[in-house]
Amino acid sequence: MIDPAWVSGLSALLFVIGLAGAFTRKNAIIVLMCIELMLNAANMQFAAAAVHHGDTTGWVYTIFAIAIAASEVAIGLAIFLAMYGQHESITLDDVNVLKN
Amino acid sequence: MAGSEAKELVHTAAVDYAPLIVLLPMLAFPFILFFGKVFNGKDFWKNRLKEGGLIALPVMAGSLCFALWLVSDFIGGAGLADSEGWTWFTSAVWESGTNKSTALTLGFGIYVDHITVMLLFIASFLCLLINLFAVGYMNTDPINDNRNHRFYAEFVLFCSGMLGMVLADSFLWLFIFWELMGLCSYLLIGFYYERPSAAYAAKKAFLTTRVGDVFLMVGLAMLWTLFNPYAGAGQGGLDYAVVFDDANIKEVAKSSTGTLAWALGLMFIGAVGKSAQFPLHVWLPDAMEGPTPVSALIHAATMVNAGLYLVARMFPFFGSDYLHGELTDLAFIIAAIGGTTAVMAASIAFVQHDLKKVLAYSTMSQLAYIFTGLGAALYLANTLDWHHDDKAHGIVIVAFGAALFHLFNHAMAKGMLFMASGAVIHEVHHAHHHLHHHDDHHDDHHEPAPEELLMLANYLQETGQSVFGFFNAIDLDQSGEVDTYEFQRALKESDIADLPPWEMEPLMKALDMDGNGRINVPELEVSLGRIHLASLAGKDDHHDDHHDDHHDEFDAQSMDNMGGLASKMPLTATAMLVGSLSIMGFPLIGGFWSKEGIIANTWRVAFDDPRFIYPAMCVLLGAAMTGFYMSRMWLKTFAGPPKTEVAEHVHPTNTWIKIPLFVLTFFSLGGIVLASMGFTHWAPDETYKPFFNGKKSFIEGLVYELGHAFANEDTRFFILTYIAIFLAALVGPGLALSLYGGKLNEGEKLMPWFAPVVAVNAAIKGRYHWDNTSFAQSGFSTALSNRLYFDHYYDMAMLKIVAAFSFKAAEADSGVIDGTIKTIERTSQQLSTKLRALTTGSARDYILMAAVGTLALFSMIWGLVA
Repeated sequence: MIDPAWVSGLSALLFVIGLAGAFTRKNAIIVLMCIELMLNAANMQFAAAAVHHGDTTGWVYTIFAIAIAASEVAIGLAIFLAMYGQHESITLDDVNVLKN
Repeated sequence: MAGSEAKELVHTAAVDYAPLIVLLPMLAFPFILFFGKVFNGKDFWKNRLKEGGLIALPVMAGSLCFALWLVSDFIGGAGLADSEGWTWFTSAVWESGTNKSTALTLGFGIYVDHITVMLLFIASFLCLLINLFAVGYMNTDPINDNRNHRFYAEFVLFCSGMLGMVLADSFLWLFIFWELMGLCSYLLIGFYYERPSAAYAAKKAFLTTRVGDVFLMVGLAMLWTLFNPYAGAGQGGLDYAVVFDDANIKEVAKSSTGTLAWALGLMFIGAVGKSAQFPLHVWLPDAMEGPTPVSALIHAATMVNAGLYLVARMFPFFGSDYLHGELTDLAFIIAAIGGTTAVMAASIAFVQHDLKKVLAYSTMSQLAYIFTGLGAALYLANTLDWHHDDKAHGIVIVAFGAALFHLFNHAMAKGMLFMASGAVIHEVHHAHHHLHHHDDHHDDHHEPAPEELLMLANYLQETGQSVFGFFNAIDLDQSGEVDTYEFQRALKESDIADLPPWEMEPLMKALDMDGNGRINVPELEVSLGRIHLASLAGKDDHHDDHHDDHHDEFDAQSMDNMGGLASKMPLTATAMLVGSLSIMGFPLIGGFWSKEGIIANTWRVAFDDPRFIYPAMCVLLGAAMTGFYMSRMWLKTFAGPPKTEVAEHVHPTNTWIKIPLFVLTFFSLGGIVLASMGFTHWAPDETYKPFFNGKKSFIEGLVYELGHAFANEDTRFFILTYIAIFLAALVGPGLALSLYGGKLNEGEKLMPWFAPVVAVNAAIKGRYHWDNTSFAQSGFSTALSNRLYFDHYYDMAMLKIVAAFSFKAAEADSGVIDGTIKTIERTSQQLSTKLRALTTGSARDYILMAAVGTLALFSMIWGLVA
């Protein structure tokens, strides 16, 4: 069996990749994907911890997180559709109506 | 005699199948509704299945079969039954403080006793007959085409509500089915919902009964708190097995008889609303807006009987030894409300011209009789030592039996009367339709508009007021309809005319298109517009433009348009005659046996408790009044020469309608048979055998009943019987015979049994005819025409109290509640405008900030923990 430490390390790597992508990319969909990546990194961490402690609680949290992530993606995409309708673009730099 | 401790509950196969009585029609409801929607207008649905009528028919027949099985088991000696029932759900309630949890069980079971059996038979039997009638009535009127499935679906649901209420084994289920009926009555009264008057009537019926239902619910809640501590495992606190248990009643009586009396009193208010008694009676006459089968259903088979059933159900409380003499006040209130309604409704029935309205008030009055009878019976049960004394036992079961038997007789007779009136209206309507649409005939009864209305039309034209604005100004109670009183004031205030109330009638009639005694906006608008046009164009050509309007102007329900129908519709006239005689309490026919019993027993109580003299006088007076208005109705409809051309062209009705009339005629005539079989001794006493009550044979029963009625050994009751017969069979009908009807046209053939009636009528009318115009013009008569202004004052009170409260509530809503929310909204908006100045608007900056913030929080917590 794979040592949970390896999984934990992979999760940390995924998280950093996701964080970096979210900071640097302009396309809203890619940013969303990066956020999903971070979320799944957290899931993986849960799973690794569950195996490490031999406790099922972590698995349960993972299932919940996946369900919530699914609805979150649906809302996110809906927001992008609305955004496109308003601004004819989903580049994050074009959308800054909250300014002033 | 036996004590009620000896409770033998018998479980037969019929009880196992009894839930089907309720379930069959209940399941037919979605079925008819669904297929009615799918196949609407299709030939086989419309003509083969009569738009669902022939689905409802076998369903109701099935219900009746199961019901008859149960009834015959009961009468055959099985006696009381209380099924185990199935549990709906059990929930645990945790009681704070004691740290215990108690289980609450809700289940449905079947409870069968004397009252159940009586009501079950009435409801299932009449529902089937009314269904037959409806097929003949609803499906032959083009106005109902393609929507009859709605009628039949609601009809079967209504029936299942009544049957379920009767069979239920707890007050909770009684209440659930009670409300189901309330809903269905709303739907059915408002069947022609495109008519504003029908929509209004449906709303009124629903809301008025709701007033009573609130009290019923509070009463039931009180009853539950009293009895729930004594409920065993798996029993609900409102199960009959719990509340009617003598040991439980003993415990409750020890601690709180006063509360129990209040609980029962509040439940009685629910019954008052459902059974349309004073002061919650206002919905019942308006309920005539529904199609005639609905009227028959509500007034004979189901709805109004529910209230009586509820009061009859309270019998074990009144009959219990442990509450001896505690509930006499409540018994008096029940009897007094009954007596008041009996006289009030009968007097309003005097002046009604609408055939169905007379019957509606008659229903109200007869139900009041049953309430009075129940009040007297409950008083006797509460004060006499009937568990141990044979004579007292006999008195109580006869008193209770009289009330229940009157319920039976009234249901049979009134069901028939409504169906017969429906047949008459149906045929008058068809005759009118036929007459005015096949030959090009101008109606002769179109009278020129009265002078005052012309002035009113011109007044509105000159002052430039819209009809709608004017209407709102004169509609004092904002009911959407203007009655005589309001119209009279309006004319006076606009300086057109100051008329006494009795001269308002022609004006109202000229405007009132649907003949309901009140005017609404469209009526006023159309009539005034036409009058104005006619006055502009000259008087001569006012016939030309409205050939299609005959339909609105002719009122097929008004008895003023009938007369002489005895020879045209012999079967219907016979049914009506027998039904009327039964309701009047004419000797030997149906209602006589029960009505005499009610009058005698109310007086029996009155000899004992002087308070009861009031209801006792009321029922005696009511007997004469019933004789008058029922005779008046029959004579105005069937005797005398035809009053309009339409009435000369009426034909007999179709077979579907004839069958129920035929069957019910025999049920009303057969009162003597049923009485001889011991139906007058119908009481909820488990050791008592309903049939023949110990009499060996039918003949013995017959002799006993006749002897009891006509040659009572007690002198007081002997005299009372003949006073009642004198009033009900001679005074009331005699007055009607001298005022209305008369000889039919020459050459009209009559059934042999009408001949004496018409001959007596013609003779009395010719000899003693007196002028009643002074009464017709009196203020009292006007008050009666306006239903003693009850609706008026209720509307006014609603306007004063409810509308004022609503205005205040609206102010509070917009000021306080909305105001708070709006302030919060405004403040946060101002705040966010300020905050926005600080931000860049770029999503990536926000993500960065979120990440930094998380990191900061994380390190802070790390620092705290480590």
